[in-house]
This record gives sequence, structure tokens and C-alpha cells, in this order.
Amino acid sequence: MTMSRRTITAGALALAATATLPALAQEPGLSATSIKIGMFAPLSGANMAYGFDVANAAKMYYDKINKEGGIHGRKIEVVLEDDRCNANDLVAAVKKLVEQDQVFLLNGGSCSAAVVAAKEYVVRSKVPMIMLNASGDGALYPPTDYIFGAFSISQYAVGGAMVDFAAKNLGAKKIAYVNHDDAYGAWNLEASKVDAEQLKVDLAIESVSPTITDVTAPFLKLRAANPDVLVIVTYARPAALLIKKAFEMGFTKPIVLSVTGTASLSQLAENVGGKDALKNFYIQDVLADLPGGPKIKWVYDMYKASYPELAAKPDHPQTYMPYGIPSAMAIVKALQEAGPQPTRDKVLAAMKKTNFDSGVMAGPVVFTETDRAANKSTIFIKYDGTNKTLVPGVFTSRWKYKG
Amino acid sequence: MDFDLFLLFAQQGLASGVVVGSVYALLALAIVMIFKTSEVPNFAQGEVFMASGYLALFLLVFQGAAVWFTIPFTLVASFIAAALFRRGVLTQVAKASGSPVNLVIATLGLSYILKGLVRRTGFGDTPRSFPSLVPTDSIMIGQASVTKLDIAIFLTAVSVMALVFWMFAYTRTGRAMRAVGMNPKAAQLMGVNLEKIHMLIWGLSGVVSAIAALLISPKILMTAEMGAIVTMAFAAAIVGGFTSLPGAVVGGFIIGIVENFVGLFISSRAIAVAPFAAIMLVLIVRPQGLFGGKFAIKKV
Repeated sequence: MTMSRRTITAGALALAATATLPALAQEPGLSATSIKIGMFAPLSGANMAYGFDVANAAKMYYDKINKEGGIHGRKIEVVLEDDRCNANDLVAAVKKLVEQDQVFLLNGGSCSAAVVAAKEYVVRSKVPMIMLNASGDGALYPPTDYIFGAFSISQYAVGGAMVDFAAKNLGAKKIAYVNHDDAYGAWNLEASKVDAEQLKVDLAIESVSPTITDVTAPFLKLRAANPDVLVIVTYARPAALLIKKAFEMGFTKPIVLSVTGTASLSQLAENVGGKDALKNFYIQDVLADLPGGPKIKWVYDMYKASYPELAAKPDHPQTYMPYGIPSAMAIVKALQEAGPQPTRDKVLAAMKKTNFDSGVMAGPVVFTETDRAANKSTIFIKYDGTNKTLVPGVFTSRWKYKG
Repeated sequence: MDFDLFLLFAQQGLASGVVVGSVYALLALAIVMIFKTSEVPNFAQGEVFMASGYLALFLLVFQGAAVWFTIPFTLVASFIAAALFRRGVLTQVAKASGSPVNLVIATLGLSYILKGLVRRTGFGDTPRSFPSLVPTDSIMIGQASVTKLDIAIFLTAVSVMALVFWMFAYTRTGRAMRAVGMNPKAAQLMGVNLEKIHMLIWGLSGVVSAIAALLISPKILMTAEMGAIVTMAFAAAIVGGFTSLPGAVVGGFIIGIVENFVGLFISSRAIAVAPFAAIMLVLIVRPQGLFGGKFAIKKV
């Protein structure tokens, strides 16, 4: 019995197809035409400014990739859940996405404390989790094989870069430093101390509760230290209370606010009692340019085209919106690198070699075999309540993870 | 710490403590008022305070209403809402089950509902400032720096407290409220309408909470979680003796001052712990609170 060439070819193709089937079948969220990505972010509640538009930015980038033909012929399909920046809600969302929706990988988390709560489950489930804009240092150090983050910036880098800027640019020799009295604040402070030591700067430190309502005591102690600069590394509410108190008590030295407290600048200006409180005021950012500036205008244009109704609303896009782009970019690049038959292991291997300039953030997105924090660079902006002026230079921390 | 700095901290701590303590005292008063008459700790007191503040913010900032309309409207709305909760929910819960635990759970339910409602409006999604109705420029009292708003907060709070005490001491309704607190059955036999008195007390407690919100909101920034400040009021009530109205007021001032002194002389990290340390100290030394009477079995 002889076989025709056509029969042999058909047989070989069938065999090849069969050989690939088990791989595809074993990978949840993957079909011949789609890759399912599970996203989660605060879409409602008091902290939605931290992630609502960040998730929108990542989604619009995936839409762009889909319009360009997808990744190796597969379209990205997003399943989005609301985590409310709350650890319980976030873990529930992650479990739903993994177990019920059977996603291929996770792309979410805008609030560090909440996202760290998912670490144990994600590592146990061996699902790749690429954070949105959460720093999530608690899930990144020590590094695991499955979790990547700090696309906005690591909290260690936030703290260190604040001291770097205050010393280098404002010539501070003594810095009044306010952080939170939680893990978040401890990460900030650890790196700040490293930079302060290397730059030979004294820190007068006050650690406050994120829910503090009366900042008189910490502010008075800081003022008594006679600092050259007041550095505030807190969320927006304690920061606004401190700036307001500084204004009320006639403090005229420069005040520098970390990126963690800048979720809504217009609201900040209102909350501190007006522009007079911001006469000598700087904010930290992690973008490559001023928000809406020429280098990143394309992100804002894409947002307007993708969400015209949202863009027409006041306070949209939200301040952190562009932070969603590098995270989505890293995922797309890793999926492309993983080839036409991607597996979670291949994607994880590709993620560990990530090194690219997003054009959106102040620094490149870099992961290595031992480092899971993407961005460590910041810029600073002088803000007077209306106008923003970019301070030249990029500032970072000297802190290194020692294992 | 040198002596000059010590003096500065002591004066500032006292001034700031008295201001913030006056608001804790108001809230503690609202809590004790309800507890004295119905023996229910109202765990929704913080959310009543928060929701009243947001109602005023909505009218004043988002609707552009005049102050002369906003303040009375907020107070009346808080009175009606709190009184109706007593009549519509707690009375029914009490009828359905005599257990006080169910009443406490009902107040917890109210707290979640109010927080949820404020979140639904979208106004609670970012910290917001409540416009100060008094100038916020600073003046010096000794070495302490206080704003005119601080002085207005203190004077208003003290006036409200005086008014509440006067009502309880000298009006027929106030005496009826005290009678209900002492022995409801006897009060009823003497012709006091229990349901009406309970509604009045809840309404009054709502008004006092709303005043506290209007006073402190320009200082603390508003969020849907701002009701957490009630923890300090509970601490004040416990320190003062949970059934004593003067005790609640004194407790409020003590907590405010202790909080500031601990922050200034010990550590900012310890501010959050200070009220609980004060509670523990009082419970060890004087379990019934500073102004609480001796323990006695209540006769019915």
C-alpha cells in the first residue's frame, strides 16, 4: 500500500496539531484565538483614584494590540474585577479570576498593602501575576518566580529618591521626614536612611498613622528640628493635613511630597487651603515627562480616543492613568517572546529578561533573575496649585536588596 | 529636650488637645445620651457624624446652598433621620427580640448603610475639604498657635454642651429623659411616653453629631471613613464613665489632650494607642470611669 504526498502531509499536520494540543489544553485561558488576562483594580470606593484609570490605560493598550492583529494571531481578552484596594476583596477577585474564569495570567493591583495579600495564593497556584501600578514591595522582596511589579515605582525607590532630590536639588543638610507607621512607611524609610547616610544628610523622622486626624504633634516636633526641607512620604490625606498645618504655622521651607500622595492635585490644592500653602512645593512623579507633556502626549491622546465620555468628565484621566501602560507593554512583550505556543513557564522566563524603555516612565522597565521591581527612577515637579514646572534630572535611590 | 521647647510643646499640646477634645466630647455626649436611656452603644454614631458632614458638604459645595440654609437643614435632617431610625428599626427589633445584642447589630447595620450610601454618591472617593465658615488665620495664645477656626470650634462645642446640660437639668423633656434613663417602667407609669422620649434622644444625638461634623470637618478632611473618629469618643465615654454626661465631656477633653501630649512628648507612633492606654489605666484604677457611679444592680 502506498500513500500519496497529500495524505502524508495531512497526516503530519494532524500529528503536529495533536502534539501541540496537550500544551494548549494544559494552559488555562489560552485558545487558538485568544489569551484571557485577569485584571483587577479599585474600580469603586475611596481609593479608586489609585487604579480605575490605570486599568483603563492597560485595557486601551491591549485593545491597540488587538487592532494590530493580536499576539501571534491571538486576541487579548480581558476579565476585569473590582478589588476596592481592599485585601479581602482583592484576594477574592484573584481567586475568582484563576479558578472560575481560568485566566492565563493576572494583571492587577494598584494598592500595595492589598496586593501583597494575594502573594501566597498566587505563588501556590503558580499563576503569573504582573501588577498594574502597585509598588507591592512586600510581594517583590524576596523575589518569587511568579510575581512582578513596581511598574510605577518600588516604595524603597520612592523613599530613597525623595532624599536624593532634597539633598541634591534643594541642598538640604537636615530633612524633616514624615512616613506612615506601617510596612509601606518602613520600606520608604529603609531606603531613605541609606540615601541619607551616603549623602551625609540628617533625618528628623516622624512616623504617623495613615488615619491620623490631628497632625499638630508630629509637625511641631519636625519644625523644632529646624529642617531645611519637609519631606512627606504619605498618602494624600495625611499629606494635605501636614501641608495645611505647615501653612497655618508659618513654615516657609520647601515641602516635597512623594508620588503616593499626589492622586488628585486639584483636590490637594483645595484641601491644603489654597495656593498660598503651595508657594514652595514640589511633587514627585514617575513619568518620563510632565503629565500631558510632549513625551507622553500619545498616552493621553489614546485615552481620549478610547474613552471620550470619561475624558470629558472633570478629574479624568486620573493622575496615575499612564502607569497602566508599562505593565501592559511588559505582558505583551513577554507573550510575544514566549512564541506561538506560549505557556505560563515560557512567559515567566521571558518576564525575567524584560528590559525596555516604555517611553512613559522616568526609567526603563527592567527585571532580572533576582529583581522583580520594574522602575526605580523618579522626576520632580514644582507645583504652585495651578502650574507644573519640571525640575531637570532623574532621581533614584542607592538602596539595594541584599537578600 | 530643653525647657523652652518643653514649654512650647506643653502649651501647644494643651491648646490643640482642648480644641480636638471638645469635638470628642460632643460625640461622647451623643453616645452616652443614647446609652443612658436605651443601654445600647450606638456603633453608628461615627457614621451619623460622617453622613451629616457629607450632607452639609453636598448642599454647601455641590449645590451652592447658602450657609443659613445648609446648617439648619443638616441639623433638622440629622434629627429626623436618627429619630426615624429609632422608631422604624430599633423599636421593631426590640419588639421582635428582647435581646440588646440585636439592637447593637442594628446600629452596626446602620453604620454600613450610611457608609455605603456616601460611597455610592461618589463624593467619598477622595479626601475632600469642608469649607471653613470661620477664618483659618492663626493667632498666638502664649506660645501656642491656634486658628480662629479652632477657637470657634471650642466655643461652639462648649455652648452646645451647656445647652444640652441645661435641657437635661431644667426642662420637662430633659427630666423625662433622665427619668427614662433611671427607670423606664416607673417613668412610663408617671405618664412619660417612652417611644417619644427615645425618638427625641436619638434625634438629639443626631443633631449633636451633626454639629461635631460641621465643626471638625474643615480640619480633618472628609472621607467615607471619617466616622472612625468615634473611636476617640467611645474612649472618652469610657474614661468619663459610660453613663455620665459630665464624664463624657471631661473624658473628651482628657483624650484630646493625652493624644497631643503623647504625640509631642513620647512618639507620633503612639498617638493611636494613647486613648486605649488611657482607657486601660482608668479601668484598672477606677473601673466605673472617672464620673461613673458605684456598681449597683439595676432594679426594674
